[in-house]
Amino acid sequence: MTQIKSTSIKSTLIKSTPIKNTNGNPIPAAIKEQLIQIVTQKRYLDQVEELACYAYDAFWEEAMPDAVIFPKTAEEVSRILKIASLHKIPITGRGAGTSLCSASVPVKHGIVLCFSKMDKIIEINTRDRYIIVQPGVINGDVQKALAPFGFFYPPDPGSMNIATIGGNIAQNAGGPRCLKYGVTMDYVLGMEVVLASGEIVGFGSRNVKDVTGYKLSSLFCGSEGTLGLVTQAILKVVPLPETAKTLMVTFKDLDDSANAVSDIIGSGILPAAMELMDKFTLNAIEDSFGLGLDREAEGSLLIEIDGIKEACEKEMGKIIEKLKENNAVHIQESTNDADRERLWTARRSAYGVFAKMAPNIVSEDVTVPVSQVPEMTRRIKQIAKHYGLTAGVLAHAGDGNMHPMIPADKSNEEEWARVEKAFDEIFAAAADLGGTLSGEHGIGLAKARYLPLVMNQDSINLMARIKQAIDPDNILNPGKFV
Amino acid sequence: MSTPIKPLKNCGKCGLCLSACPVYKVLKEEQASPRARLQLIKAFENNTLKSSALLKEIISKCLMCGSCAVACPSGINHYEKFMDMREKMVKDFGETPAIRSLIYLLARESRIRRGAGMARLGQKLVQKLTPTWLANKYCLGNIPLKQLPQLNLLPFRKTVATTTPAQGTQRGSLVYFTGCATNYMYADTGISMVGILTHLGYEVIIPSDQTCCGIPLMFHGAVDEAVKNMITNIEALGAHECDGILVDCTTCGAALKDEYPALIKKRMAQDPQNPPESWKKLASAAQKIADKTTDILSFIVAHKQDLVFDKTNPNLGNIAYHAPCHSRNSFNTLALVQSLLKELPFMNYTPTLDEAECCGGGGTFFYEHPKIAKKMMDKKIHHVKAVKAKIWLTDCPVCRINLAGNIDKTSETEDIQVLHPVTLIHDALKKEPVKEGPVKKS
Repeated sequence: MTQIKSTSIKSTLIKSTPIKNTNGNPIPAAIKEQLIQIVTQKRYLDQVEELACYAYDAFWEEAMPDAVIFPKTAEEVSRILKIASLHKIPITGRGAGTSLCSASVPVKHGIVLCFSKMDKIIEINTRDRYIIVQPGVINGDVQKALAPFGFFYPPDPGSMNIATIGGNIAQNAGGPRCLKYGVTMDYVLGMEVVLASGEIVGFGSRNVKDVTGYKLSSLFCGSEGTLGLVTQAILKVVPLPETAKTLMVTFKDLDDSANAVSDIIGSGILPAAMELMDKFTLNAIEDSFGLGLDREAEGSLLIEIDGIKEACEKEMGKIIEKLKENNAVHIQESTNDADRERLWTARRSAYGVFAKMAPNIVSEDVTVPVSQVPEMTRRIKQIAKHYGLTAGVLAHAGDGNMHPMIPADKSNEEEWARVEKAFDEIFAAAADLGGTLSGEHGIGLAKARYLPLVMNQDSINLMARIKQAIDPDNILNPGKFV
Repeated sequence: MSTPIKPLKNCGKCGLCLSACPVYKVLKEEQASPRARLQLIKAFENNTLKSSALLKEIISKCLMCGSCAVACPSGINHYEKFMDMREKMVKDFGETPAIRSLIYLLARESRIRRGAGMARLGQKLVQKLTPTWLANKYCLGNIPLKQLPQLNLLPFRKTVATTTPAQGTQRGSLVYFTGCATNYMYADTGISMVGILTHLGYEVIIPSDQTCCGIPLMFHGAVDEAVKNMITNIEALGAHECDGILVDCTTCGAALKDEYPALIKKRMAQDPQNPPESWKKLASAAQKIADKTTDILSFIVAHKQDLVFDKTNPNLGNIAYHAPCHSRNSFNTLALVQSLLKELPFMNYTPTLDEAECCGGGGTFFYEHPKIAKKMMDKKIHHVKAVKAKIWLTDCPVCRINLAGNIDKTSETEDIQVLHPVTLIHDALKKEPVKEGPVKKS
């Protein structure tokens, strides 16, 4: 493998300006009064103790807003944006603040529009297979509302029990079962959006088939609040599978585990999830939870298939065959729900296990073609070792979505510099293998500077032109990737 | 909490605690979340945020239920952080007169006793003199006055002997920490506790010099008073040789099991002036008590094969359960209790959708933040009605006050009785003494 020199990477990247968590300018009294008239005093915050609670999300950068407003209707959002446009006040949308790329941090200060109180489910229609929600509805609450009807909404980000649909749409969120079912964008049938000008626009419909004009919902999905603010969404829902089966498999060789993934997918089976964990991660989980995992295994896979019972059984046989062909050491099948839950607990606790190791946990989500998962894993390990760091590797292996995790302490400047260099190289390695910067977290502030690794200048310029056309004053989530 | 104490800087701000926080789920405002409180405490400790009345309000808008600490992947002990911060805030800004008088009351057993006596008189007087419309209108927090529990005629501990012998052959002896609620309000719980434990072949000792566990004092920053109560209790409970210390309230239990050792550790680190020997002794006595402390429902689960039920009792019908925060988070009993209730022969356990969701009682939370508590309660009432339960069980007296206080007793369709699970279990036991006592365990 040819390691790219970190100096040459540096010259390719966009120079980033450090973010300072200082106060901006207070909203002038006259404007404040107009805003309060729209939402009442109760839904307008500007005391420092309150503002400090909206200066962060799950990324480490922080910046204070000048005011926080909780809108309840699209009309309120529209009136607020008209005022903001007139006075060029930055507006940053926020749901539950679980972004891993700093998408909801108001780096240019101004107003945080928090959609958490706009949390009504407007309509559930399983005959036509859709649900209409306000942006502040929590993903997990959508699942709870659909379950009695025998339906579910597939995108399942790790934060699904608190993250909002608005945030999911803004970040085009994914999750483990997106391997089979697809990501947020595949489930947004239509949306209502308020533009920077205050215009309320809508596109898409209740229909799965809809080729009426540009598919603008795809443009806004993943736009990270830089083009408009979603005030309502029509989401496609699907029937809950009749049954689910889970396997935990270990391998002596990491290559074997990754090859098993491509073999299974190549054989025509599409599992709901295929989660890869390396030896370091597996041992870290075992240290914390003692679940009886194989400590000697270099790699492990958590595979879940779902569907009709008979089909699952048939597929399971085929999967086990492929696993054996790839030298699987232990194959453990869940026999009941409690067993299945236990295996998933192991996988889900991975983040927590790393979070306990150090004050910060840098968890990125580079994505590579499935066949490159073993090579990418090796490069991550090599790069981390080169900088004297420890990296755990988790991957939604079935779709090549990798989560290199490096525990570190941001207050240790020397160590942090090494972490940054390591990630420069990890992103470059992903690009080198035909991969991309982010599979499901988004670009935000975290990865803005790496864009040139995967896009040419003309493509970056095109994004800027789209932004310019829709938000000419650059008031929506300024200071991020576009 | 059982999670190890980790430095605050380990908070990765992931937001998982928001999904566990009952207050956040009602208000949907970040400043009402555990993550925000940690960030504010961090800013306060780094001197980037000054202490203020608003900061105190934000910090105290919390049930202290501990659910956030259980959900935290970084293993942060929110509970302890919040308790420390409350103490600092109270020092700077004081408490409301109502809370101050509560602290005054709970800091001395004699005051609690007098207070309860007067309150009982007051209650009678209020009932006699207050027109119904007025009694309906006035509330303590989110609870209408007429729906508050009647106080015990006499404190429970005055009505039982210090030592009640086992029925049948004695297999061991247990110390029972009654807590204030059983002593002054819910004697039915106390009677059933003694009944069940003696039925199981245990002698029950109720030390007469025990007092309030001190948790309400700690929550309101009155740590010095809490330390005094703690010392009284350690001496009272430590004076008896026993095989276990039983609580009917998991909040009191959390004090004995988690808070006392933690408080002593903190005091010893803080105050090197004190003679270390006496504190070391106190620490070891507290640890002994902590190791022996069990909540009654876990104890019953461990002994359920020895319970002899009277099979002639009629089935009590649909019964729901509400899991108190400290039972879930400090004693981790949810799954245990669910399995116990399923097995009890004299009732149909009908779980509600949200049986593990907080009711908003939270010590004095229902009084300080009635609107938030009411919203939590409304959901719970809705769900308990949906399963057509006639009895609602809970193993925490504050939850019991809050649940019962929000059921409209005057409405026939709504009348649901709220009880501690021990009451039903005790009522269902075969009444004559068990002839052949269970074999004493080695």
